[in-house]
Amino acid sequence: MKFYLVDHIQEMEAPNRIVAVKNLTLAEEYLADHFPSYPVLPGVLMLEALVQSAAWLVRVTQDYRPTLILLKEARNVRYGAFVRPGGQLVMEVTAKDIGEATSTFKAVGRCLDKTAVQARLVLEHGTVAAEEPGAEEVDAGLRTFWRERFALIGGPQALEAAAEAS
Amino acid sequence: MRWIWIDRFIAFETGRRAVAVKCVTLAEEHLHDHVPGYPVHPPTLMIEGMAQTAGVLVGDAFDFEEKVILAKVTRATFHGHVRPGDRIRFEAEVQGEVRPEGAAISGRITRNGDLVAEIELMFAHLDQSRGPVELGEDNFVFNDDFVGLLRMRTLRNLGASDPAPDA
Amino acid sequence: MALSRDEIMEKVREALVDALGVDEDEVTPEARIGGDLGAESIDYLDIVFRLEKAFNIKIPRGDLFPDNILQSEEFVQDGKLTDKGLEELKSRLPHADLSEFEKHPNVDDIADLFTVDMIVRYIESKVNEQAG
Repeated sequence: MKFYLVDHIQEMEAPNRIVAVKNLTLAEEYLADHFPSYPVLPGVLMLEALVQSAAWLVRVTQDYRPTLILLKEARNVRYGAFVRPGGQLVMEVTAKDIGEATSTFKAVGRCLDKTAVQARLVLEHGTVAAEEPGAEEVDAGLRTFWRERFALIGGPQALEAAAEAS
Repeated sequence: MRWIWIDRFIAFETGRRAVAVKCVTLAEEHLHDHVPGYPVHPPTLMIEGMAQTAGVLVGDAFDFEEKVILAKVTRATFHGHVRPGDRIRFEAEVQGEVRPEGAAISGRITRNGDLVAEIELMFAHLDQSRGPVELGEDNFVFNDDFVGLLRMRTLRNLGASDPAPDA
Repeated sequence: MALSRDEIMEKVREALVDALGVDEDEVTPEARIGGDLGAESIDYLDIVFRLEKAFNIKIPRGDLFPDNILQSEEFVQDGKLTDKGLEELKSRLPHADLSEFEKHPNVDDIADLFTVDMIVRYIESKVNEQAG
């Protein structure tokens, strides 16, 4: 499995809001275990999709400075409708505050107009060099990596569309 | 990749407490995406490890006949990064008692005695009223594979205290 | 050990903040657990567990949040409460104002009736009962 939970960015008004999607397909192997005869997107992967969506808001707002953006705290994560193969999770994340070292968000994931997941998130921002002195090159590589990925998932187009709309 | 985020149970007290461990290894594919150059076990997969530890604890209370599923993560807080080569320990405790309506679990994840995460979860049962009509009789949550791999039928033989509490 | 209403309110507030992730100042006596504080089905059980722990009491199923009204045909027909159902609800929620609810007694709207103050009064009666 590739641990990328954001397939496409539909809307992005940095720093405040992002709408992105994750498709679910039977080709995702872990579904064989979750569950046999009744495959559904695992709740924690719905949460990860929300986290990764929020992380994009941080990257764009902070110009890719932080290379490690990790979940620090999740609160009140509640699950509702299932997402089944052939379906799509639409993540809507709203930033409450994006600071230098941390950021907080309110996030919702929907599938066919039903709420699949809702959560409050706190993310922590850092760099590899902060964890491993001398790893500046790893960070440089990561910044390139994230910029390329952003282009891959339609980020620049979403930003442009928002700029044109305003 | 298998959707099993714990490796083995090391302590078990029916209806009260369970302890499981997981080794983190570079052989795991997702670590190469998360993050390139700095493999770190995703916090959300640690939540899943706790959910599986606690889910078995709750499921055992109904002899694995109910489809126990995660309904809520009340709170999950993370301290520190878990890296390849680490072995982390999941300790789940039932709050109050397991009830037909559901269960509340308080969990801690440690590595060599250091606190790595604190997680509070709630479980409910998937029954015909919540799921779609085609849900069959067999328990796909506690399916043969999962039950076998984690030795769920012999959990009650485990002691209440784990062999190396701080491992 | 008898607790004052303020002391009870404080602990109830803490339980609701922890279970629902709301801010302390959102937890006013009139706040509705569902409508204002955003509680959903699983949250009601979370609240019950936390209250039991905080006050060292047992809350029998359906005592605080009468969910079993939803199950009985005697009380519910076509998603609305019958007269008997309304009577039952009134007896369970003696302090709730049901005048608006009675006009359209939809089962789905029952949860909106639960307020913070109702919880406080329920706890008060339970701990005073124990204090003898």
